[in-house]
Amino acid sequence: MFLKKKSFVLKGAFFIVATMLIAACGSDNTKEESITTPVEDSVVAEAETEEITYSLPSPLQIASIFKKSGLKYKAGITSELKDPAKYTTNLSKAINLGVYSADLSYAVLNKQNQEAMTYMKLSRQLADNLGIGSVFDQGNLSKRFEKNLTNEDSLAYIIAELQMVTDMYLDENDQQQVTSIVFSGAWIESMYIASRVFEKGKDKSLNNKLAEQMTILGIIINALKAEEKKDSAITGLIADMVTVKDIYDALPSVKNNPDASDDLEKELTLTDDEVSQLTKKIEALRVKFING
Amino acid sequence: MKKAYFISLVGLLFLLGFTTIQTTDSCDKKAMTASCKKKLDQYKYDSQKFTKIIFTKKAQQLEVEVPIFIGEKYRLVFNTSGLPKNVKINIYTKDKEAKKREAIFSTKDAKADEKEFVFDAPRARKMFVDYDVPADSTNAKLTGCMIFMVGYK
Repeated sequence: MFLKKKSFVLKGAFFIVATMLIAACGSDNTKEESITTPVEDSVVAEAETEEITYSLPSPLQIASIFKKSGLKYKAGITSELKDPAKYTTNLSKAINLGVYSADLSYAVLNKQNQEAMTYMKLSRQLADNLGIGSVFDQGNLSKRFEKNLTNEDSLAYIIAELQMVTDMYLDENDQQQVTSIVFSGAWIESMYIASRVFEKGKDKSLNNKLAEQMTILGIIINALKAEEKKDSAITGLIADMVTVKDIYDALPSVKNNPDASDDLEKELTLTDDEVSQLTKKIEALRVKFING
Repeated sequence: MKKAYFISLVGLLFLLGFTTIQTTDSCDKKAMTASCKKKLDQYKYDSQKFTKIIFTKKAQQLEVEVPIFIGEKYRLVFNTSGLPKNVKINIYTKDKEAKKREAIFSTKDAKADEKEFVFDAPRARKMFVDYDVPADSTNAKLTGCMIFMVGYK
């Protein structure tokens, strides 16, 4: 009787051990898969690759930089298309979430409370359509935004917090490519706003900031390229962004100052004609983005 | 006798469980994010970058380019608590292809148990964050993650 029991215990132990070993092997396989998946932040198992990756700023920071350089509020220049349902592809949803984020930041920093509320709601709708709307509920962000509508500083901190939870959410769900796409939309919209407010011959500081912003276009393009394998729709967006960079790189002021982006003391100033050339391209791309 | 079998079984299961836990990625991203956010203090959140690290037999160098703008003040907060082995962090104003560059920040003299680092950036036009990942000859498939958060004011 006891021998039978002993044999039963032994069989049980072997069964459990075997199951765990199989499970452990299985989980190792899964790990190998995740290692070889071309994810930007992962290091390939063989480790011969020495990667360069990119960190993109927030739309709020870009708006803040322009604001500090003297960018004033001009009514009616932000996106007028207020029907998020129009955007049907994930790419157009993400790009226009970026456009709305830039408009939201511009409105908040210029104390346009009702406009800010509108863009907050539109951003929420678009984020819902993109499947990431839950980030707006984290820490009661939507409600806190409404409650603090008359306090510009609080609103800016709430937007920064929204950016943080969104970054976190996208990272946890292995959707880092969305971050790069959203920022591309936000960057084009911010550049569009700044170039529309820019007054020829007057705004030297704003001119410098427009030129400075162009130095990060290369980083945006590289960040998008790093995510291209995850979403083939990004290829077209890269091509669009490259057209802007090509125009900028060919400007005489840029060609004659190849080290301008490294110089701490000297900011690059474009001629009015160069700003116009750049503005035309940005406007055309912005129309394309907004039309979905 | 029965008791001996039971103890052996529990011991074996414990051993297997422990081995599994050791090779599992112990990356608590939420806790790391929250901790970095606290250290930003008065700086406004701008962005964060998680990097998954797989230790291999060869040492690795990873680089992240961080765009910065004239006139802005930046703080970078690093948290390495999700790593099973320490990784050296260096920050440069030139990329790793540059012939000559000097680190403006380094954790090379940091204590072994230090897991969080704060860096207030000086005026610069570009920043390159490098991670020097040491080799791991144990074949233990060690993995983990680290984060840096950027704040500005």
